[in-house]
Amino acid sequence: MSIEKVILEAKNIQSDRLKNINFTLHEGEIITLIGPSGAGKSSLLMLLNRLEDPNEGTIHYLGKDINEYPLEQLRKRIGMVFQSSSLFEGSVEDNLKFGPSLFDEWKPERGKELLEVVQLPKEYLDKNVEELSGGEQQRIAFARTLANKPEILLLDEVTSALDVKNVELIERFLKEIVPNQVKAMMMVTHDIEQAKRLGNRTFFMNNEEIVEQGRTSQVLEAPKTNTLQAFLKE
Amino acid sequence: MAPEISNVSMFFLVFFVLIPVSLSYFYALGLSKSIFWSSFRGVTQLFLIGYVLTYLFSLEPLTGISIMLTVMIVVAALHASKKGQGIPFVRSITFLVIVLIEIFVLVMWLGFDMISFQPDQVIPMSGMVIGNSMVAIGLALERMKSEFKEGKGKIIAALALGAKPEQASKILVRKIVKASMIPNVDGLKTIGLVQLPGMMTGLILGGVAPIEAIRYQIVISLSIFASVSLSAMLVTVIFYRFFFNKNQQMIQMKES
Repeated sequence: MSIEKVILEAKNIQSDRLKNINFTLHEGEIITLIGPSGAGKSSLLMLLNRLEDPNEGTIHYLGKDINEYPLEQLRKRIGMVFQSSSLFEGSVEDNLKFGPSLFDEWKPERGKELLEVVQLPKEYLDKNVEELSGGEQQRIAFARTLANKPEILLLDEVTSALDVKNVELIERFLKEIVPNQVKAMMMVTHDIEQAKRLGNRTFFMNNEEIVEQGRTSQVLEAPKTNTLQAFLKE
Repeated sequence: MAPEISNVSMFFLVFFVLIPVSLSYFYALGLSKSIFWSSFRGVTQLFLIGYVLTYLFSLEPLTGISIMLTVMIVVAALHASKKGQGIPFVRSITFLVIVLIEIFVLVMWLGFDMISFQPDQVIPMSGMVIGNSMVAIGLALERMKSEFKEGKGKIIAALALGAKPEQASKILVRKIVKASMIPNVDGLKTIGLVQLPGMMTGLILGGVAPIEAIRYQIVISLSIFASVSLSAMLVTVIFYRFFFNKNQQMIQMKES
C-alpha cells in the first residue's frame, strides 16, 4: 500500500472533538473507522470536506491544503453519505440532479446510469422519494453523492439502519466503485464484520483519538491495546 | 353616529366575565385569578388607548401619526423578535422589516387615494397591518428555528454536495414562507362567510352602509395579505444566513 499515491494527508489535527489526528489515505484504498460512539469518527470525516474545521493542524488533498480549494469544489470532489439518507422533498431525479445542477453539469441520461449503479429500475426517476423504502432511500442518497463524480467518498454509518439484503447490496457496489469510479473511501461503521469485509486499513478511535491504525487484518485480529481488545469483545 | 353604550350597560359585562370564572371554579381549572386579571387589564388598556387616541387625533396629523406608529412598530418588533431569540440582530432587523412594510402600505394607500393622511384613518389601518405582520414574523422566526433544527441533516447533505448556504437553505425557506402565509390564505377564503371582519363590523355599527364598509375591508384585507407575505419572505431571506458561518458550515443556534 505504501507505494500507492497518497491523496489525502492529515497532520497534527486538533479540534473541539478530536486530538492528535495523523493519517494518510492512498489511492485505491478503503479505510474503515471503528470505535465507540462519541469517539470522534463522524467529526473526523466532516473535517475532510470542511463541514467542520480543525483548530490546529493541516489536511492536504492531492498535495494542496484543503483550505486553498474553493469550498464548493472541495465538497464536490470529496463526497459524503450520511447515516440518515436526508433526501430532499420531490422526485428521485430532483435529488440526483441537485449536486450536478449546482455546477451546471446535469445531463438527463445520467439519472438512469446512476440508478443502474445502485441497482434500482430506471422507472424510479419520477418516483417521489417518500414512496421509497428505507433501503431504497439510502441507495438514492448514494447515487445523489455519486452524481457529483467524487474522487473520495466519505461514508458515515451508511448501512446501520438497513436490513441484511440492502447491506449486502451496498457493500457489493462499494467494492465495485473503488477504484473504478472513486479513488478512495473512508467509512465509519459500527459493524466489525463489515470493517473486515471492506477495509484495507482500519482505524480504531477512542476518546477523540486514533488509538490504533494499520492493515485491517492486523488491527482486528491482533489488537495491541487493551481498549481495542475490550472493544472487540463487546 | 354609532349608538353610545352607557356606563350601566357596560357594567353588566361583568356577567360575561363571571361565566368563565364560574367554569374555572366548577372544574377547578385554577384560572379564576388570571381571567379576572386579564379582563381587568384588557378593559383598562382599551380605556387608556381610547383616551390616547382621542388626544392623538386632536394633534397635527403628522405628529399624532408619527407618535402612534413609532409605538406600534417598536412594540410589534419587540414582541415578534422574542420568537427568534438566539438569532443575531433579530430585534433591529425585525424593526426595520416592519418599518419597511409600513412605508410600503402607506405609499400605496396614500398614493392611490384609498385613505387620507388623517390619524383616525392611518392609525387604525396601520395597526392592523403592523399587528398581522408581527404575527407572521413571529411565526416565520419560530418556524425557521425549528425547520433548521429538524432539517439540519438535509442542509448538511446539501452543503456536502457543494451547495452554498443560500442554495442549501432554499429547500427549507420555501416551507417556512408557505407556513407563515397559510393562515392568511385560509382566512381570506372564508372572509365574510363565517364572521364579518372586525373593521367592516365597526364601520357598519358606526352607521356606514355595508356596501361602503366592504370597500374599506377589501383595502385592509388585501393590504394585510400583502404585508404578511412580504414580512415572512423578507424575514426568512434575511435571517437564513445567520444559521451559517463564513466557511459555509452550519452554526448550532443557541436555544432560547
